[in-house]
Amino acid sequence: MGQAIHHSENRGTRIEYAGHSFLHIKHLESLNIEDVKNHSAVIIETRDLDYVRMIVSRIRGNIAPDIYLKPIFLQSRNSINDLVLENLVDGRISNLDKVASLVELVEENLNRVQDLTFANSISFEAQMITKMITLMYTKDQKSLLPIPYIYSSINFAYPLLSVNFSETDEHAVLNILDIAESEGLFRSEYYDRIYLCNQCSSSHLSYREVCPKCSSSNTKSDDIIHHFPCGYVGPMQDFKNEIDDKLDCPKCNKRLRHIGVDYDKPSVIHECKNCSHTFQDFFVNAKCLSCGSDRSVEQLKSKIIKSYFLTKKGESAAIKGFVTTTKDIDEIFGTIKFDTFKTMLKYEIERLKQTEGSSNICAIYIRNSSLVYSKLGSTLQKGLLKDLISVIRSNIRSSDVISFVSSSTIILSMNEIPNKISNKIMGNMVRLLEELIASTFKKLDVQFEYKVVALDHHKPYEEHITELTIDFI
Amino acid sequence: MIDKIIDNYLRFLSTLTPADFLEFFWFFLIFEFFRYFLVEFIVLILTEVKKVTSRKQRASASAELFFENPLVSILIPGKNEGKHLYKLVNSLSEQTYKNIEIIVVDDGSDDDTPAIGRMLEKAGLIDVFLRNEVRGGKASGANLALRYSKGKYIIHLDADCSYDFDAIENILIPFYMELGVGGVGGNVNVRNYKHSLVTTLQGVEYYNAITIGRKVTSYLGIYRVISGAFGAFRADVIKSIGGWDIGPGLDGDITVKIRKKGYKIRFAADAHCLTSVPNTFKKLVKQRLRWDKSLIRFRLRKHNDVFKVQASFRLLDFFSAFENFFYNVVLNFKWYIYLTIMLTFYRPLFINVFITNVLLYTIMNYIKFLLFSLFRDRSHSSVSYFLIYLPCMVLYFGLFLRAVRTIAYLQEIFFKMSYKDTWNPRKTSIHAEYLRL
Ligand SMILES: [Zn+2]
Ligand SMILES: [Zn+2]
Ligand SMILES: [Zn+2]
Repeated sequence: MGQAIHHSENRGTRIEYAGHSFLHIKHLESLNIEDVKNHSAVIIETRDLDYVRMIVSRIRGNIAPDIYLKPIFLQSRNSINDLVLENLVDGRISNLDKVASLVELVEENLNRVQDLTFANSISFEAQMITKMITLMYTKDQKSLLPIPYIYSSINFAYPLLSVNFSETDEHAVLNILDIAESEGLFRSEYYDRIYLCNQCSSSHLSYREVCPKCSSSNTKSDDIIHHFPCGYVGPMQDFKNEIDDKLDCPKCNKRLRHIGVDYDKPSVIHECKNCSHTFQDFFVNAKCLSCGSDRSVEQLKSKIIKSYFLTKKGESAAIKGFVTTTKDIDEIFGTIKFDTFKTMLKYEIERLKQTEGSSNICAIYIRNSSLVYSKLGSTLQKGLLKDLISVIRSNIRSSDVISFVSSSTIILSMNEIPNKISNKIMGNMVRLLEELIASTFKKLDVQFEYKVVALDHHKPYEEHITELTIDFI
Repeated sequence: MIDKIIDNYLRFLSTLTPADFLEFFWFFLIFEFFRYFLVEFIVLILTEVKKVTSRKQRASASAELFFENPLVSILIPGKNEGKHLYKLVNSLSEQTYKNIEIIVVDDGSDDDTPAIGRMLEKAGLIDVFLRNEVRGGKASGANLALRYSKGKYIIHLDADCSYDFDAIENILIPFYMELGVGGVGGNVNVRNYKHSLVTTLQGVEYYNAITIGRKVTSYLGIYRVISGAFGAFRADVIKSIGGWDIGPGLDGDITVKIRKKGYKIRFAADAHCLTSVPNTFKKLVKQRLRWDKSLIRFRLRKHNDVFKVQASFRLLDFFSAFENFFYNVVLNFKWYIYLTIMLTFYRPLFINVFITNVLLYTIMNYIKFLLFSLFRDRSHSSVSYFLIYLPCMVLYFGLFLRAVRTIAYLQEIFFKMSYKDTWNPRKTSIHAEYLRL
């Protein structure tokens, strides 16, 4: 094979070899994530594992297939002792001279990526499932096994899926896997059980035996002694004297001699040093290391961790594109199906040929939708979309229609309105939406963009839609 | 035959002179009529008078109690009592006196008591639930509860009893009526008196012995048994005597120990408690044998020092013990002497004397029951229900209980049988016997 050619750019180093371009990353700051699209694979120089984890997460966690599906190789002399990281990358080379050994893997990956079709599913869960099964397909991986992982807030990582989530949202992977299983894409086997904080769903919990009255863990325990001759019963403390380590009865002053004969120890008692409550049964509390909540273990959420195995249906969903039927957002009140929208658009263009009126189609795009949806979960996500639709609905005429292009893109018609006014309405509407979000979802920063395209009856409807959404999808 | 007996009897009555009457019925007149009718009647009237004159004092005692509002520890030791616990703790939450802590000790139960107890503890209905895996006996259970009590007053309850809503308040008031009260006994009556003849008769017996009898002994200052079913103690006093000693008869024992310390014992007739009594004669015999044996054990053995003239001698303690001993043990045997005399010297008249005795006792029972019921402040059972059963009381009290008592006394005096009672675990009774407790 030929010689590797190194191009130093300020975005990292490009290595060209056998017609393939490798992006060589040395520093986190040198990574421009969009740049990954322009290369066949990524090689990360491994000096510090934390920074490697960060770069890998940013690539695998990206929403664009030509970023998250890109092969990643680590350049390291030693093997990496991190099963999760190992599962996320595609291989290791000891130095850059070994680039040749990667070519076959890269070409295999490219071939597999070409098999894939990406259906534009609306729901966040479907997007995540698509990411997961397409990654599995390109890596020729048939199973998704939980890996005990100290960096995971639920103690187990499913690397290809968990990489999409920040620590606080990681519990959402269990929900997504449940959906994938119920869709028949996976079958599962029991692996383990975990307990999650009922406040924040973290599994980083500290368990302690506590006083049932005040929940303090500051307690001391003592044997109860029953002195048979006089019937005195009390903690061993009562029987201790100051002179020797023998035990004397505080009631009758006799020395205890022989357990079972003149005394016995029928039970153990605990005393709380905080509230002086006495008891025999501790409560067990779990303190959440993430949010600080300290509750009885009975209040924890119990979840099952399973091993997942791709089914035939799962494999073909990766290739043909996966659109979930149950979790989609068709049923949001006030919207119509995208296909119906297209049909109506076609008729409107036909109508304009005769009337010379001025009509528009508009799009609202949620720029950071995957981040937003991962924070919300599917129920809140639906709630958010419903709110958005009702605001939009109240700002347009009843003859106009709304539809989803994807979960991040809403499309609507504004017929018989000059383009300028349409733009103005849209601007106001987005401001209203931002206000709505700010008031209902605290701490949630949703970024909107919008675009208006005036209908031109010389162009087919497909061209209008492409023009409208080209910047967004 | 019956005609002849009646004829004969009427002739006997018509010729009976007062001197003869005294000669034939000295036992009834001197011991029974005098003690259980005359003395009781007079004292009852005096108690009523005192009740009226001390009304103001009582009101201020009650006010003082609620002003101070001391924590009161309720101890409920027992074995296999779980089934009663929920009802009991629920009824305790209805009490007029609220500042209580409930401490339940499960003394080695082998049923679902531990689970029930833990559940009630978790639900906050019981403050402290303690379980001993191995049974230690009634005293050890009570002592464990006492060790972990925090109240100023201690109330000992039985799990299978039930209590009037103001019972706790009323049993506490005597502590605020006069100084130096160390313990107060509650008024225990029979809940299942309608169950069978044997429970009905015990209903009458409890009424006579407790509601009336203890009012009288309390007034006279010789009240001597605070029932385990319902008794209140000053915590400092009961802790200073080391709590309960090994039973049976630990209720009487602890009362004597408190008296010996120089404290007064009072009876609270208005602190009502209902208990379930044995519902067959067989069970009753078993219970009474245990009780009667403990009388010998505690009066004649453990606490015989109250009869001795020594530095700590107190007349009331002596009188209390003497009255108890005399009317139970001495008279029990004296009755046999009476029976022997009658059978030996008055043989031809024996049937007539017997009939007269039965009539005398029955008439006394009726008069007493009706007259004394005027002194009831409130009651759980109607007076009229018992009336038709009263004739049976002669047989129940005069023959049945006397026979049981005799057997018990003889067993205990000669064989110290109480130490072999499985009511206590063997490991503890060995020591009690050895130490002559
Ligand atoms: Zn505590
Ligand atoms: Zn001792
Ligand atoms: Zn938490």
